[in-house]
Amino acid sequence: MPLPPRRTAPSEPPVAMALVAEGLSKTYRSGVGRRPVQALDRLDLKVPRGVVFGLLGPNGAGKTTLVKVALGIARATAGRAELLGRPAGDVPIRARIGYLPENHRYPAHLSGEQVLHFFGRLSGLAEPDRSRRVEHLLRRVRMDEWRTTPVRRYSKGMMQRLGMAQAILNEPDLLILDEPTDGVDPVGRREIRDLLLEQKERGATIFLNSHLLSEVERLCDRVAILKGGRLVREGHVEDLTRGGAVNVWEIDVQGGDDARLAAVMGPAALRPAGPPPLPGAAAVAREGGAAVRDGVRTLEVSGETEDLNRAIDALRAAGLTIAAVRARRESLEDVFVKIVRDGEAA
Amino acid sequence: MNPGAKVAAIVLDTGRELAYRKTLLFYFGIVTLTHLFLLLALQTDVANGVITSIRLFGLEGSVHGFGGRAAEGMGLEANQLVRGIQIAVTWTLYPIGVMLAVFATASLVPHMLEKGTIDLLLSKPVSRPVLFVSRYLGALLVAGANLFYFVGGVGVILAIKTGVWNGGFFLSGLLMTVYFGALLAFLVLIGVLLRSTTIGIMSAAAVYFVSLIVAFPHANADWPALLTSKPARWGTQAVVEVLYHALPRTLELGNMVTALVMQRPVASWMPVAWTIVSGAGALLLAIAWFRRCDF
Repeated sequence: MPLPPRRTAPSEPPVAMALVAEGLSKTYRSGVGRRPVQALDRLDLKVPRGVVFGLLGPNGAGKTTLVKVALGIARATAGRAELLGRPAGDVPIRARIGYLPENHRYPAHLSGEQVLHFFGRLSGLAEPDRSRRVEHLLRRVRMDEWRTTPVRRYSKGMMQRLGMAQAILNEPDLLILDEPTDGVDPVGRREIRDLLLEQKERGATIFLNSHLLSEVERLCDRVAILKGGRLVREGHVEDLTRGGAVNVWEIDVQGGDDARLAAVMGPAALRPAGPPPLPGAAAVAREGGAAVRDGVRTLEVSGETEDLNRAIDALRAAGLTIAAVRARRESLEDVFVKIVRDGEAA
Repeated sequence: MNPGAKVAAIVLDTGRELAYRKTLLFYFGIVTLTHLFLLLALQTDVANGVITSIRLFGLEGSVHGFGGRAAEGMGLEANQLVRGIQIAVTWTLYPIGVMLAVFATASLVPHMLEKGTIDLLLSKPVSRPVLFVSRYLGALLVAGANLFYFVGGVGVILAIKTGVWNGGFFLSGLLMTVYFGALLAFLVLIGVLLRSTTIGIMSAAAVYFVSLIVAFPHANADWPALLTSKPARWGTQAVVEVLYHALPRTLELGNMVTALVMQRPVASWMPVAWTIVSGAGALLLAIAWFRRCDF
């Protein structure tokens, strides 16, 4: 059951960006004789409203620091940041923000229901709205049965579910999540994903920090990769995983031989297709130039969508059967590792 | 929602946390036992303001002037009995109460500042000063409520048994709350600076004892003469005076409590004002530090 519509403030001019960082730097100085740590280094980043935005990076890249500086939990050393058009650390704007930190802790003396009421009060939710939302969210995150149990008895997954409920309690315009599926089983991850997609449908911007790249790839519209406190890559997930400026597809074709394929597609069809075969894929053989497996030949077509369709039309016109068509792309993990470990240039 | 509702939410949560810790509940238990003792075990007969008989757990008292008939001019006045009981109770339960309140509240700020907890709190639309002061207020109100329960209970029970109302005793409870408020301010200052419960408790004990000790050299102008070296004399005198003025006036407040309970005149109320100033200074320092902390 959907939440009741949120009462909005008198109309304000819409803000295009959910998060803006300009020349943002943060240096942690931790005591006499210790080397300062440059957590953020002149970071420039803009996150538009209404998207699911993933923030990636190795440990120590500055992801959590960026979030903390934007929220005012830590102070910037240089540069500026904005959340929903307001300067970092602005207190009233936090009423429109939901935040789930990594390793979040609730007061151990409270039950799940009390936790939601407590943070709901701090967020400015008054009765009867607050009780209505608490009731709804406890059911939505499947914590209804555990509402009166002290949170110190909750499992990791229960803590995350309660954390999600806490973060969306005030129907935020910007939802910032730091490892929301950390320690959660696959069923729980699916539920959290569904919850996030509901929030996106509602128009919220979701800013997601996660090491689970498969989740990021599934959920996010855009991602940014940080390394050493700097932005090294940013863009749509599709663009990042394409692996190059040109679209490449692989077509599995049944029937025919190299000569027939060459007649249909031209000599380029005989160019070896695809990356090197996986270890143990003994069934893959190479005959002429096209990769062959169990009588299925894999061709590659590069170019625009029209090129792909022309190739398919030509193959079908020649009486060949198309078994599969795949867009060749790298996984986000491959891209991430290349950038972070191998130091591929932005 | 008005800002007061957010303050109330934090104060209520602080109270719940203290109740969960059970230290103050333990103090509540001791005080309740004291009340029950006075209520059930102490029986008195009073005539014309004089104790004519007193029984403790049913046993007749045998002090001269007791025992059924008051000897003329020798009877113990009910007023004296009440003051005596109240002094005995304050000299034992006030220090225990302050100590237990320090133990119970020492962890409030360090726990609040733990990673994961402080992140959630600071992500909400509550300013840092409001968050910090609300936490302090919650602790003070709970400790104050315990003291009020103690003082109110003892005062009312003795008044019912003897017909004597000692306003000074009730006022002494208020004084103790003010004193604890100042001590709590130093406790939360150490909590935000060092984020350690143990060091907080040790620091509160240090404030208590140092403030007690420096009151003596401050009151005695001749003590620097014991030091032959001028720099040593000036140095130690400066240290003593700075500490005396910066810390709560423990000795003076203790004397005032005794005077109030014994219904003697209080020479000056300035130690109360200075204690409030000292506490306010520590609290302001704590808030200023908390405002600039990174978490």
